[in-house]
Amino acid sequence: MAGPKSKAKQRFVIIGASAAGSSAAETLRRHHPQALITVVSDEKVTYSKPLLSYYLAGKLGEEQLFFRSPDFFERYGIEKIHARAVGLRPEKNTVELSDGQKLQYDKLLLATGAAPRFPKIEGIRRDGVFGLRKLEDAHGILARLPKTERAVVLGGGLVGLKAAAALKERGVAVTVLIDSPHALSQMLDESSARIFEKIFEQNGVTIRTRAKPVAVLGTKNQIEGVQLASGEVFPCDVVVVGKGVDPSLELVEGTPIRKEYGVLVDDHLRTSVENIYAAGDVAQARDVLRGEPWINALWPCAVEQGRIAALNMLGQETIYRGSMRQNSVQFFGVPVISAGLAVLTPGPLGGRPGEHDETLESQPAPGIYRKIFLKDETIVGFVLVGDVPIEAAGVLRILMERRVPVAPIKEELLELGPDLGRLLPLIVEHRERFVEREFQELVQTVGV
Amino acid sequence: MERLFCDPRRCVGCRACEIACAVEHTPSKDLFVSVLNGELGPPRRRVQTVGAEPYRVAIGGVVLSLGCHHCDPAPCVDACITGAMHKENGQTVCDTEKCVGCWMCVMSCPYGAITPKVKALKCDLCPDRKEKRGHSRYACVETCPTEALFAGTFEEFQKVLAEPVTAVWEGR
Repeated sequence: MAGPKSKAKQRFVIIGASAAGSSAAETLRRHHPQALITVVSDEKVTYSKPLLSYYLAGKLGEEQLFFRSPDFFERYGIEKIHARAVGLRPEKNTVELSDGQKLQYDKLLLATGAAPRFPKIEGIRRDGVFGLRKLEDAHGILARLPKTERAVVLGGGLVGLKAAAALKERGVAVTVLIDSPHALSQMLDESSARIFEKIFEQNGVTIRTRAKPVAVLGTKNQIEGVQLASGEVFPCDVVVVGKGVDPSLELVEGTPIRKEYGVLVDDHLRTSVENIYAAGDVAQARDVLRGEPWINALWPCAVEQGRIAALNMLGQETIYRGSMRQNSVQFFGVPVISAGLAVLTPGPLGGRPGEHDETLESQPAPGIYRKIFLKDETIVGFVLVGDVPIEAAGVLRILMERRVPVAPIKEELLELGPDLGRLLPLIVEHRERFVEREFQELVQTVGV
Repeated sequence: MERLFCDPRRCVGCRACEIACAVEHTPSKDLFVSVLNGELGPPRRRVQTVGAEPYRVAIGGVVLSLGCHHCDPAPCVDACITGAMHKENGQTVCDTEKCVGCWMCVMSCPYGAITPKVKALKCDLCPDRKEKRGHSRYACVETCPTEALFAGTFEEFQKVLAEPVTAVWEGR
């Protein structure tokens, strides 16, 4: 065991300064005032990627994208280097940077994130084709706005649809081309997705499903349109790609670090190589619902993983319970929260047949919708649409995450509000699954 | 850190805490004026009943008033994409100026303690009463007619729970 003295000299290096990287750096500093902490990022400023569509829509200014104050790293005594990590030598405990520096580490965190997945079609690298992952993407699209009348969005996932809604609010005519049979296929089942396809159409965004683009047409710096396999052409001035992300694995290529789809980590968020940890969109960690390593490239997961990895890097053993698919978003003022697997259309990245054996569904009024999927009397997924239904998301989510059999309250599930009280008997009965201090206090309180 | 707890043996489900909370979070802090001006928002704590009827001392069931537990670590803080939801001296605080209403916190709170109403609304431990001490420090505690609500540490609250319930409570 390292004594306090040697620990004081420990050097922590974090590659990546977004959700996972920032959260890890902050945790390290909070628990270890003397540690040497270096964060390496290829981006000058640290901003919230999920807010980019708000910026694109003109709802937020650039300074409002900073989820940490601009002097965060300075204030926490964290060295921030603006460079790209280009080489990793685990046998020497060093990271090489694009500016030629070599950093020595005692513990290293890989929080390199993910990059947009661009379809391999003709013309996809033309000027005027953007992802919406980085601030520079948003800058690029905004710079073209004055000359943009029409835009095509490739992909009907969360990022694609957020971009489409943002562009529409800027007065651009938008068409969304979706390969899948319906929009949001990684977030919603077909009937729930139809609600949002309709909302988009009502707000003037054209949605085309089962549309297979084969080429981005145009000249070197002028986009002319997107062509489908059928030959049909959608004229446009700008193309935004929102077809999901792939983990950024360049740094681990050629190292012994085990990877599959992402960097594989154990329940302490350690990689297969000593002193190297991974967190965030690059890390393939346990999925609580799937029971296997998975990447849920989501903000809350990245922040939690960053924190837990940091605690383990400090030697404070902390188990990572695992992540799960979950998301919350609003389109044209209609909120939707969905979580779980059974919600998804079966497919390689989506759901699997037989994931649920019962569906509860209610639509008391247009725009108010609840759907809950059960398997063996346990919640395995839900979709909540509308202001009132979403209030129950947190309590449904915890029942799902903790695998609590819900048979005793099944009849009430569709009417459930944010009523933790209704769940108390279940929580008391399964108290061993609710280990958090706050839950234990509640159990003790109602047990008197 | 001081937090709020509810003794389910004393809570009768009258919902006075809900009204007091809602009124505390209006500019006028006056029930009549806030209703008149349409300022009254949702309460940040709610009475919950299980297998029991309000206005009856619960036997076999549970009646209690619940709000934010100010968890540490807090899932809502992890989930917040703007940095609006944050920890401050142990409290979980939402900077409503920064909140964009994405409801990631609503999805993440296992207690259902965050209300999505343009902004994320939750128990903020009555910042406008910071100068007050004792019984009147928190609007809900001050108003609770049955003295079911308690401000303090959980250890202190446990001592309350260890005491038998009496008609006249002189403990606080």
